[in-house]
Amino acid sequence: MSEPVTLTVNGRKESVTVDRDMPLLFVLRNELKLTGPKMGCGMAQCGACAVLLDGEEIRTCVTPVSYAAGKKIVTIEGLPDVWAAQKGLSAGDAAKTLHPVQQAWIDEQVPQCGYCQSGMMIAAIDLLAKNPNPTVAQIKDAFTNTPPSPHLCRCGTYSAIIEAVQRAAKLMQGAAR
Amino acid sequence: MTGRLNLTDAPILPTMISRRGFVKTGGALFVSLAISWRFAGQAGAAEAPTSLDATLPESWLEIRADNTIVARTGRTETGVGITGYYPQTIAEELNVRPEIITLIMGDTDRTPDGGFSAGFLTGMSNLRKVSAYTYQALLALAVTRLGVPAASLSVADGVVSGGGKKITYGELVQGQHLELKIPVKGAFAQPDPAGWVGMTSLDGVTVTGDPPMKATNEFKVIGTSFPAGHIPDKVTGKTEWSCDVVLPGMLHARMVRPAALGSTLVSVGMLDKKKFPAAEVVRKGNLLAVVSPDEYQAVRAALAVAETTKWTKWAGLPGSDNVTKAIRAYPWEKPSGSKGKAEETKAALASATKTVSASYEQGYVRHAPIGPFVAVADVKGDGSVTVWTHSAQSQGLRARIAFALGTPVEKVVVRWREHSGQYGRTTLGGDGAEADAAILSQLIGKPVRVQWTLEEDLEWSTVSPAWVSDMKAATDAKGHIVALHSANYAPHMFDPRPVGALLAGMPTATSKPGNWVATEWPYDKIANRLEEVYGMPNLAGDSANGGLRGNIMRTPGQRQQDFALEGLMNEAAAAAGADPIEFRLAHTTDERMINLVKATAKAAGWETRPSPHHGARRTGTTEVKGHGVCVMIRENAYWVGIADVVVVPATGEVKVAKFTIGSEPGKIINPRQLERCMKSGVVMGLSEALKEEVTFDKSRVTSTNWSRYKILTMEETPEIQVVQLSRDDKGFGGGSEAANALVPPAVAGAIFDATGVWPRKLPMNPANISALLKSKAGAA
Repeated sequence: MSEPVTLTVNGRKESVTVDRDMPLLFVLRNELKLTGPKMGCGMAQCGACAVLLDGEEIRTCVTPVSYAAGKKIVTIEGLPDVWAAQKGLSAGDAAKTLHPVQQAWIDEQVPQCGYCQSGMMIAAIDLLAKNPNPTVAQIKDAFTNTPPSPHLCRCGTYSAIIEAVQRAAKLMQGAAR
Repeated sequence: MTGRLNLTDAPILPTMISRRGFVKTGGALFVSLAISWRFAGQAGAAEAPTSLDATLPESWLEIRADNTIVARTGRTETGVGITGYYPQTIAEELNVRPEIITLIMGDTDRTPDGGFSAGFLTGMSNLRKVSAYTYQALLALAVTRLGVPAASLSVADGVVSGGGKKITYGELVQGQHLELKIPVKGAFAQPDPAGWVGMTSLDGVTVTGDPPMKATNEFKVIGTSFPAGHIPDKVTGKTEWSCDVVLPGMLHARMVRPAALGSTLVSVGMLDKKKFPAAEVVRKGNLLAVVSPDEYQAVRAALAVAETTKWTKWAGLPGSDNVTKAIRAYPWEKPSGSKGKAEETKAALASATKTVSASYEQGYVRHAPIGPFVAVADVKGDGSVTVWTHSAQSQGLRARIAFALGTPVEKVVVRWREHSGQYGRTTLGGDGAEADAAILSQLIGKPVRVQWTLEEDLEWSTVSPAWVSDMKAATDAKGHIVALHSANYAPHMFDPRPVGALLAGMPTATSKPGNWVATEWPYDKIANRLEEVYGMPNLAGDSANGGLRGNIMRTPGQRQQDFALEGLMNEAAAAAGADPIEFRLAHTTDERMINLVKATAKAAGWETRPSPHHGARRTGTTEVKGHGVCVMIRENAYWVGIADVVVVPATGEVKVAKFTIGSEPGKIINPRQLERCMKSGVVMGLSEALKEEVTFDKSRVTSTNWSRYKILTMEETPEIQVVQLSRDDKGFGGGSEAANALVPPAVAGAIFDATGVWPRKLPMNPANISALLKSKAGAA
């Protein structure tokens, strides 16, 4: 049964009329046209669909939309605004600023095919919020052993991701000073 | 960025420029194919947002009045950085900055050359020559405009200077519509059902002639780490991926696949229209789908229909545990390919006093991208077809779709979009969801988007076949190899048939059971060698749906054949009591290989000594350490891999502590992108070495999710050290493959070094290594 659900996505209130059980991924991609999160395994085994829900990573392929009602959702499309708000940037500065994680992903030339990288950046932000200066071992642990599954990259960009997370950590700390 | 001036070398060029007319605003030089054809069938194509000039969609390059450049290539960004190094190559020949170049890739109606996206070097060579021709044309225009002789012109950053005057490329074309025709050979792929891969050409169109080009030692842009252009939009969510394409009136489809690999449809399950009012079942032969305007409804309705759909029982597979036995048992006749000296090698082996021999094997593995196949197709009433794809072979896919639907090729347009990496599976243009989508769209007369599930992808996409190799070497008294014979046996890896067309019983190419010798021989001091490969049809190839369809996968053929060759080199080195690196150096005079081996060994801190290590053991719960090496030549590039591993004999666990990889691909175009390819290739190679195996029972593939088809995680990724040697005198070599294929032989050598036992079977997972160490087999 379709019914109205109100979501806060990338700072905007959105109302959709959908089946309450519909995975959040379908709502984001098909109803709200936020195509950053990707359809990967459909069973929370890969991380391609990850977004932030109240600041923590979730897998949208297995999360019913009703679970996200009233909570704050952030996709990679909304990361620059998150950073701008965090730093209190003016609208002008915000428009030309990327989130440090996105900037680090570009600086380190991380994506190969890039299909998993939306989820990888979400995992990086989740990690850096908890541990602003992670070691290589801590990064590996977070991307591999955080439930529900490892974040998988088939192109094999793991080394680049590690470098980018450390670069992002520096960028964020630099900005904090 | 000052260029050379060799206009007089090509006096013919000014006559190749023609002026089509004058324009009020803008203006451009269009650089096009010198063959007469037009894109047909475009009436049915959807709106073309990236088309810059509909009158000349086939242009290679457009030098525009605003001092920007548009370049078009049928090749596509598959993640290895062509959006970095194609602009670099163009910029180099034109003496401009790469930032002003926009690439249009892959669309069959908007790119000029076709060809496959694994052929980066041939695609790059096309654009390099096109740019060189164009540079001469621009100089010719400047001679006329500035009224100074060519010899007094110079070019920097797109500005031509001479006789105290300056003019930009943009000003040279301002207000005009100019054309330059480029000589080419070859043709776009056409269906050829009886041909080797079912179409006429994998290569597309090739630029001919010999325009003056910049010397390698004058390069200013090539050799720098220009960033890959596809990255910023992917990081910010702006890229429109193939999975993001939405058309008006489009239906979402989920496929209902046969219950077993060779099952046929008995009866279609029930669709509850009360529960799923907008859903419809679509069927043709064994192709079954549920469509709905709502994706989630399509998902649920397809699951419900699948539950009550009946298929015939089928059990025609040998089971993955028995697959190499089944390959052995095949009635092999003649090799499908061979290289080397047959008689001399056989004679040397027959008369040898000492021989080293071993057999190696691997089960099926697969490409396994994170994003399953997806495609959108729109088949119109007038027979025109548009397909949105992420295939790495747009022109080939176009030929296959046309053939399956019984439509002229000219009526099919293929639009390329980014998607998950393909690692070779779409290089032949056959594997994917496109045929599903096109057939469904033709049946229901609406645009259809087909999204495969991961389980479906890991069960129904093509696979890299299992194989066995028998290796034998004859050595002299000192253990130096004097003759070597290799024989590789495998199901073939060139099945180009789209599964949708097979299931629907629509026309496809036939599947040819041949394989080929893929190694590039690195050991010129081995006097006699004979390499043979044998190809058999797909496993269960005569069943209703084509069986396990074999396909090429990253570093195809060489990945498999080099595991055996480098394995035998390690075993022969041990038999001779020689260090594995010194043993290799003793079998080659190739200075490029010798230099790279030495540089990589130094970086790895290689300790020169024979394997196994003096502390090697095959039992015990504490760790033992070892090192191993592999070398390879591929597409004018030299490669060395060195693995440092840690083994726990009691559990069979293998950890790679460090991997050192060296590459010398002639002139390095983009060190950063090459480094990324090297490191990520090592990750893929480690995944294959340690973990990957497609499992199946007698009816179907069972490794259908990420906990059953295991790939490497970040935690398992070791420190990867990169060594790059660039040189100016050997042209360009391939950099996007090979790295993955270096890893399994190097890791196997390292496990032997640590344990004294030869791993001859992939994957080297705890179960296989533990069984090996406990068995009596495999000792040196």
